[in-house]
Amino acid sequence: MKIVEVKNVVKTYRIGEIETRALDGIDLNIDEGEFMTLVGPSGSGKTTLLQLIGCLDRPDSGVLKIGGQDVVHLKNGQRADLRREKIGFIFQFFALVPVLNAYENVELPLLLNGVSAKERKERTLDLLEAVGLTHRINHRPDQLSGGEQQRVAVARALAPRPLLVLADEPTANLDTENGIQVMGIMQRLNQETGTAFIFATHDPRVVAYADRVVKLLDGHIVDNNAKG
Amino acid sequence: MAFGKIWVIAFRDLGRNRRRSGLTMLAVALGLALLILMSGLVAGIFDSIIANSIQLNSGHVQVRAESFVFERPSLDWQDLLEDSDELLQRAVNTPGVKAAAPVLWSSGFVDTSNEMFGVSVTGIDPESSFHDPIRENMIAGEYLSIDDRDGVLIGRKLAEELGLGVGSKISLLVGTSDGETDVDIFTVRGVFSTGIVLYDRGVYMPLPKAQAITNVGDRISALILLADDTKMADPIADALRSPGLSLVTWKDMNALILGAMEQGMAFYYLIYAIIILVVAVIIANTLLMSVFERTRELGILAALGLKGHQIMGMVLLEAGTIAILGSIGGILLGLLAVWFLSTNGIPIGDDVASMVESYAYPSVFYAKFVPGVFSAVTLAMLGIVLLAAVYPARYAARLEPVDALHAL
Repeated sequence: MKIVEVKNVVKTYRIGEIETRALDGIDLNIDEGEFMTLVGPSGSGKTTLLQLIGCLDRPDSGVLKIGGQDVVHLKNGQRADLRREKIGFIFQFFALVPVLNAYENVELPLLLNGVSAKERKERTLDLLEAVGLTHRINHRPDQLSGGEQQRVAVARALAPRPLLVLADEPTANLDTENGIQVMGIMQRLNQETGTAFIFATHDPRVVAYADRVVKLLDGHIVDNNAKG
Repeated sequence: MAFGKIWVIAFRDLGRNRRRSGLTMLAVALGLALLILMSGLVAGIFDSIIANSIQLNSGHVQVRAESFVFERPSLDWQDLLEDSDELLQRAVNTPGVKAAAPVLWSSGFVDTSNEMFGVSVTGIDPESSFHDPIRENMIAGEYLSIDDRDGVLIGRKLAEELGLGVGSKISLLVGTSDGETDVDIFTVRGVFSTGIVLYDRGVYMPLPKAQAITNVGDRISALILLADDTKMADPIADALRSPGLSLVTWKDMNALILGAMEQGMAFYYLIYAIIILVVAVIIANTLLMSVFERTRELGILAALGLKGHQIMGMVLLEAGTIAILGSIGGILLGLLAVWFLSTNGIPIGDDVASMVESYAYPSVFYAKFVPGVFSAVTLAMLGIVLLAAVYPARYAARLEPVDALHAL
């Protein structure tokens, strides 16, 4: 089943007088449970495409549907609802809320989604166990290593049981060992939960894990399944 | 549901930069303490000016002859009250009247060896409790007795200026009812100090002697009435109203002071507004700085699905926490300062007090507890601080998640 449908999407950025076409007529479908990467050199449009799929930004034109729902014309509040319920995010910088500990960071999306206290606790502890951080639940981000922070971010992204998780360069700031560990965790959780994962990356280690590799160049998709 | 965690984030964010949060709270606290202290002091000063004027000069109600003009006190018989004894009896029997004092106002000169010194001369019934403030503030010698035929009381300021003391003989020229002057030698029986320069320049003598020297028979200038309560002034005046009499209340007699106070309040309100504004700018600045620093975090929260109004609520909660904690400190500090100045006062000295001679300006300022005003300035402070937080909060709420995430 298609969970993401991108049709002829265009996105242009304007910085001063200079107009840059980041995405130039992109078509892409993503199925339930996929584990795919977007690859391409810097400026090829990977991050822009992730931001559009993540409803963090809007395309200039084209069709964009998440879970069958047109998201281009949603109001800001509705897009926030959609992000909260259906999309998990993992960023290159370990984007945790610095004043909350590991447990609270994972619990936050559940709180925002109105999940009951009992279920919140169960799901939070399960996820922290799944990423191997049961012993670090009371630590704040500044007390965790980069790899640990990114594992908390993975747990947080999965907490609301989203349709898909978007990860922008998730291993860029990790050493090889931690990068492999985080990728392994994500792959396992993809298989266990059936949540689709989409990565933007340069990292060949990440690409090796992917079931499908989509290549971008200058705002175009040049290969829709480089691996298959 | 999520509100609880938003509050936790807001509260912990305040703890991230403790020094900045603390200094901002201190600004709120000092600003509010200053407002409370100032309003307490102003209320104390204004109250004491009015209370002094009522107790030492105007009373709550005065009964005068209809033709009597206070600004130009005349000793013409037609301008004076006759049958004052009967009037006194009626007044004393009127509900709400605490004290009644017949007075005769005239002016005169103290003839020192080298100059004539203009003074107000008041004939009083020394036994009337209206004059208690004088009796209780004798600093030398004795108070007057009604049958003293050549004794006077003088104020401290006059005593100092003319180098007089208890037992000094003074030559006093007094205007009389027929437009002449009469002169007599008096002995200073005592010196009083009310603490108000205006009154501490006066000469007081027993009423019968004043009536004799001014040649007015048993007439008086006015009957001054002191009420149990300020609110009783109007009912008392109504009860005593009759043809040929003019009844004036403390409000009429102190209209000039009350008017000046109103004008003065406008000035104080301006100062209050400036203080509140300065605090508001500090708050807005602190919150903006903290929002700028956290732009990326706010982007993360937005990516997690936190809505604009929730982010706005978070920033307002931070402002509210600063405002409330700061205000608690400000109230405590302000009340402490008011308490200190209500017991110890600020001496301002005779020189300053005498610059505003026409008012019953005290030479020591005391603050006063005015809970209503304190609550009002506190609420104003809280309200304006929250209002100042609206801009940073809206700024945070309107950040586009994608832009916020890119901020470094």
